[in-house]
Amino acid sequence: MNVNANPEDEVTVKEYFGNIWRAISTTFKGMMITFKYVYSVKPVTIEYPEVREVLPDNSRSRLFNNADDCISCTQCALVCPVDCIYIASTPRSKEDPELKTSDGTAIKQNLTQFTIDTALCCYCGLCTTVCPTECLTHTTDYEYSQYTLDTMMYDYLDPEVRAWKDRLVSK
Amino acid sequence: MNQVMTEEKLKTELLTLNMGPQHPATHGVLRLEIKTDSEIVAEVIPHIGYLHRCMEKHCEHLDYRGIIPFVDRMDYLAAMNMEWGYAIAVEKMLGQEVPRRAEFIRAIIGEMQRIASHLMFFGTYAIDLGAFSPFLYAFQDRENILRIFEEVSGARLLYNYMWIGGVWNDLTDDHLQRIALLSDEIEENIKKYHTLVGENEIFIGRTANVGIISTDLCYQYGLTGPVLRGSGVKWDLRKNRPYSIYPELEFDVIVGEGKKGQVGDCWDRYDVRMREMHQSIRLIRQCLDKIPAGPIMSKVKKVIKLPEGEIYHRTESARGEIGYHIISKGDKVPYRLKVKSPCFTHISVLPEIAPGQMIADLVASIGSIDIVLGEVDR
Amino acid sequence: MHNQILELLNGAVPGCNAILVPFVKQEGLGVGDDVVYVEAKLISRVCQTLKSAPQFDFNVLQVITGADFVDYLEVTYVLASFTKNLELLLKVKLPKTNDSSLPKVDTVTNVWKSANWQERECFDMIGIEFVGHPDPRRILCPYDWEGYPLRKDYKVQEIYQGMKVNPEHKMNFAERDFTNVQDLAFKEGRNVVRPELKGKQV
Repeated sequence: MNVNANPEDEVTVKEYFGNIWRAISTTFKGMMITFKYVYSVKPVTIEYPEVREVLPDNSRSRLFNNADDCISCTQCALVCPVDCIYIASTPRSKEDPELKTSDGTAIKQNLTQFTIDTALCCYCGLCTTVCPTECLTHTTDYEYSQYTLDTMMYDYLDPEVRAWKDRLVSK
Repeated sequence: MNQVMTEEKLKTELLTLNMGPQHPATHGVLRLEIKTDSEIVAEVIPHIGYLHRCMEKHCEHLDYRGIIPFVDRMDYLAAMNMEWGYAIAVEKMLGQEVPRRAEFIRAIIGEMQRIASHLMFFGTYAIDLGAFSPFLYAFQDRENILRIFEEVSGARLLYNYMWIGGVWNDLTDDHLQRIALLSDEIEENIKKYHTLVGENEIFIGRTANVGIISTDLCYQYGLTGPVLRGSGVKWDLRKNRPYSIYPELEFDVIVGEGKKGQVGDCWDRYDVRMREMHQSIRLIRQCLDKIPAGPIMSKVKKVIKLPEGEIYHRTESARGEIGYHIISKGDKVPYRLKVKSPCFTHISVLPEIAPGQMIADLVASIGSIDIVLGEVDR
Repeated sequence: MHNQILELLNGAVPGCNAILVPFVKQEGLGVGDDVVYVEAKLISRVCQTLKSAPQFDFNVLQVITGADFVDYLEVTYVLASFTKNLELLLKVKLPKTNDSSLPKVDTVTNVWKSANWQERECFDMIGIEFVGHPDPRRILCPYDWEGYPLRKDYKVQEIYQGMKVNPEHKMNFAERDFTNVQDLAFKEGRNVVRPELKGKQV
């Protein structure tokens, strides 16, 4: 189609039939591609919820903190860009028995509060990289929506929350 | 006898139409106030600010590492390019060396992100003009790219991957092999998509000679990226002001030629983006051949403090040139961070090219400029 | 390049007092940009000179930013030449006024059209009035918003169009209240919750 032509200009017979032929041939070529997709390309839709996709191991979904391993260094709370980690701790006195984390670091603080506001978290992963004992990790669980905001405050010292460890954290 | 009503005696008014913040064709929350004279548009007034999150104020109390998750929430469809631009600006002022393997990884990931963003443009532009199937075809290819990104960085859309001093995770040999296979597959598919949409007579009829932006208008309004190249200007920051490892790589700068209409119309901008995808694949193949082994992150101080002064650095993202202006007073946090976003300037040219078109042509023009409101409003 | 620009400006626009403030490179750190300061009264003629000078040809205005240094405001114009591949940062200083009127500077929309939206954003965020601007409205904030967000002494307004801007039930101060924590020793012990947030408005 001569798109530079003014609509009021006259179109020659050759151009007229040329336009029709070009319109039909390009549309036909496009339809051939579409039919190839209809008949020979298998559908790639994952039929959720019967089939669940397995996310890669380093995927940054729900956070989990293993509170037994936490040494209350508060690096995660300091580096968080949106300030969603709330930590409180008290120092352990010398009379208390010695506690160690699973990789041998001595625990010098009693952790009294470790709460993460999961609704505020932006899933950037900065807190997991600065944790020295690797107790704070991202798991691959992505199905945890709730109806109200206050149920999205995860208190990791709560025994119910601690019990998630077996389900969420892979070995 | 009845008096003949001539046109001067008929009282006509312009009809104000609101293409509201929620609209499938405005690519986000953009409100356009259109004054029309029957079907022809007389005036367009854009209203923005519906997605304003005041990122620049937030950045004034975050340290330089913590700004990276905020930066990639601006243009969420091409997030790696945003992070790359910011990382280069900070590293330049800090004098930080980036290891060679990290530079190659950044180039591969940056070009793959450009392909993903242009595929998204292709899909949404076709669906704006009424063609429903190319959208899902383009998204299947984009899905393969995002799956690789998820395995490398951990997230599908907002990555926090390009850190100051390098990148977070390494690409394994398996990833490199899959990227090579994926580039071959995408190259085949782009040719098919061009036959399906670009050469289609209906598409040409809707986009050729529509929304013409002349070179002079481009310079007056400061347009960059594919919009500028579609109007015939050969300007690409990767060639004219090269950064990172682009001096060592070979590729062509794609310029619109006016094949189906005039230079600078919507079909040219569409064509420039499709051909740029081929050049990106060429760049990825060169990087895959040349990538060395080595570390991916150089030693960065625990607390990053920029020296006193300021810097303005711009890089080529999928939508134009993204510029970062950082004023620092020597603290851990920037004193002022200003982001020059390309889509903000691109929307400002709409009141200039819209008058005289029909409303359907206005939809085609907006789609061809390819805006993302997250970047416009920050 | 900067010295030639200073020569050109001081010759063609007398009284603009163009000075160069070079970046001071410190040991072990990188390089930033050198900046040219000019007088605010003559910014329009300075920009016109830079645009029409054939050896520089600054035909694109990239961005107009503002920054709030506590006793004065500063406006930065980033100019670029796409034909000669150059870049320049131009700055003006505006003293803050004692009353509620805004500092004024001339608009450059007659030189580059991209200044239109950039100056609107600068007005919206920093609160600088551009004299002669064709469309002086806010652009990112709502049109009847009060205050200029990127100033350092900005406090957000309480009520906007009859609605509370920060209603208490949506702010998460209460979640940070530690009175329900069982361990009473906590109150005497170390409170490790981000000491730099003490007294900061959230």
